Amino acid sequence: MRSRSLSTRMIVASVVLAVLVATGFGILIHSVATLDEATDREAHSKDVTVATVVLEKLVIDLETGLRGFVLSSNERFLQPLNRARAQLPGRLRELERLVSGNPAQTRRARALRQEIEEYIRDYSVLLVEIARDAPAAARTEIAVGEGKRRTDAIRARFAELLSAENAVAAASAASAKTQSRRAILVAISALLASALLIVLFGLYLARSIAKPVRAAATASSELAGGDLSVRLAEDGPGELSELSKAFNAMAVELERSREDLETQNARLRESERRKSELVTIVSHELRTPLASVLGFTSLLLSRDLDQGDQRRYLEIIDLQGRRLSALLNDFLDVELLEEGRLEFARQLIDLSTVVGEQAQLFSGQSTRHTLDVELPEKPLTVRGDPNRLAQVVGNLLSNAIKYSPEGGIVKVVGERDERFVRVSVRDEGLGIPEELQKRVFGKFFRGEASASGIPGSGLGLTIARSVVEAHGGSMSFKSAAGKGSVFSLELPVAAD
Amino acid sequence: MQTGTAKTILICEDDENLRQLIRVVLGDGYCFLEAGDGAAAVDLAREHRPDLIILDLMLPRLSGLEVLDRLRNELPAGKTHIMVMSAWTHAENAALSAGADRFVPKPFEAEELAAVVAEVLREPDA
Repeated sequence: MRSRSLSTRMIVASVVLAVLVATGFGILIHSVATLDEATDREAHSKDVTVATVVLEKLVIDLETGLRGFVLSSNERFLQPLNRARAQLPGRLRELERLVSGNPAQTRRARALRQEIEEYIRDYSVLLVEIARDAPAAARTEIAVGEGKRRTDAIRARFAELLSAENAVAAASAASAKTQSRRAILVAISALLASALLIVLFGLYLARSIAKPVRAAATASSELAGGDLSVRLAEDGPGELSELSKAFNAMAVELERSREDLETQNARLRESERRKSELVTIVSHELRTPLASVLGFTSLLLSRDLDQGDQRRYLEIIDLQGRRLSALLNDFLDVELLEEGRLEFARQLIDLSTVVGEQAQLFSGQSTRHTLDVELPEKPLTVRGDPNRLAQVVGNLLSNAIKYSPEGGIVKVVGERDERFVRVSVRDEGLGIPEELQKRVFGKFFRGEASASGIPGSGLGLTIARSVVEAHGGSMSFKSAAGKGSVFSLELPVAAD
Repeated sequence: MQTGTAKTILICEDDENLRQLIRVVLGDGYCFLEAGDGAAAVDLAREHRPDLIILDLMLPRLSGLEVLDRLRNELPAGKTHIMVMSAWTHAENAALSAGADRFVPKPFEAEELAAVVAEVLREPDA
């Protein structure tokens, strides 16, 4: 029943109501018909009574005429008698026809006819003849007594017939009354039941439609007010259940979209935060060398210095200018790498050559460090951009030197197997504390470098890893605080 | 090594080139102390009680404002002058209200710095 649709339920309820109302009216119509029938029967009884009374009058005419003639011998009295005699057979047949539907009355009418015919045939005709022949004889006690006996009997028959007919009429009237009363009672009950059912149906509609619709309206306003967690119960009749399901689906979708938006918003805020952090870092990183450049320039412009000092300060300006330029290049590289816009050459190169050249370049930079380079005889052939890979190797070497301020051995090893070429750079320097190791490749990460006065942008490893990954390779490192680090890059071997 | 009358200046700056620049600009008439981070600056200041501290704000370990906060109540205002030097010109008010005597924007003109330092150190002692 729960899942049956609302329209089915309304149709079923309407059919039940229609049947009930139709039954009520049917019973009313039937009772009216019954009343009509009773009225017809009453009219018929009246006809029977009239016919009986007319017959009785004819019999009285007959008897009066006969008695008058017997007493007076006047032929004039025979006129009503003969007229009655002529009319009687027709009237009798009429009565018999009227009562033909009632066997008891038919029997009585037949008996009446027999008695009247016998009275005429066996008595009146005889007495008229006797009165003509011997008027005295006709007036004897016996003759008169016989007449009286017969007419009494006929009268009794009339009375019996009339009272029987009255009884029939009364009975049919009474039954019609009872039936109509019962019909009215049944009809009123049926109508009351219909009214009750209509009220119940209304209540049902209010409960099963208005209530969920109201709930949906309330939920909609809550939803519009921003509470996206609101849901409707999904039971109830078919269409409303569908409405609730659709509403819930909408709310779920809205909630999901809002969560998406919130996530996106959080990402945007995070990126905004990183950007402003970047601006702060960039401005600081650029300002420090810039301050040196401007300061020494103003010193050179305002003072007379000997040539040796001039040269020293110009070298500082030159170095700081290069530092600025390198920083800007790093920022630009990171930006391009992040946007995937940095283009790489794809040529066959021997990584041993690149490593050798970089080692040569760095060996002159520090007197405290010993560069120990170990390369295989077989070329370390890879496909890629020689300048960018040189930048990566140079970055690893520069880091190894910068982060071992006490000096020591920087060991560079190149090797290859079937699938990969590997270059690793090991130093005996500061190492990276374990809690900082996760952030090593992150932008602007410099560990404790700035505190130790080690210069740098914190972008070198970020760029190195992006470049290596763009060549289909990977970077890794191992480090222990105070013992040094080893950084490795791995690139796929190119067929040579 | 220095004569008794030479004033002592503590330079707190994380960039070595800038420390050198300040030294050269101010010339040989002062006794210089140098600190590359905030913590070292606090230690040196407590130990030597310099006449002037030239303090960068963006320092490793302890920021310039934190250094100011620690030193301002320990060192007599008339005896030790503190001069904040920073690229953050909008930090001038914060630096002055934290107890700095002067604020010099970075980058600076050589002669301007020399003049300001000479002026600060000429101010009468308390």
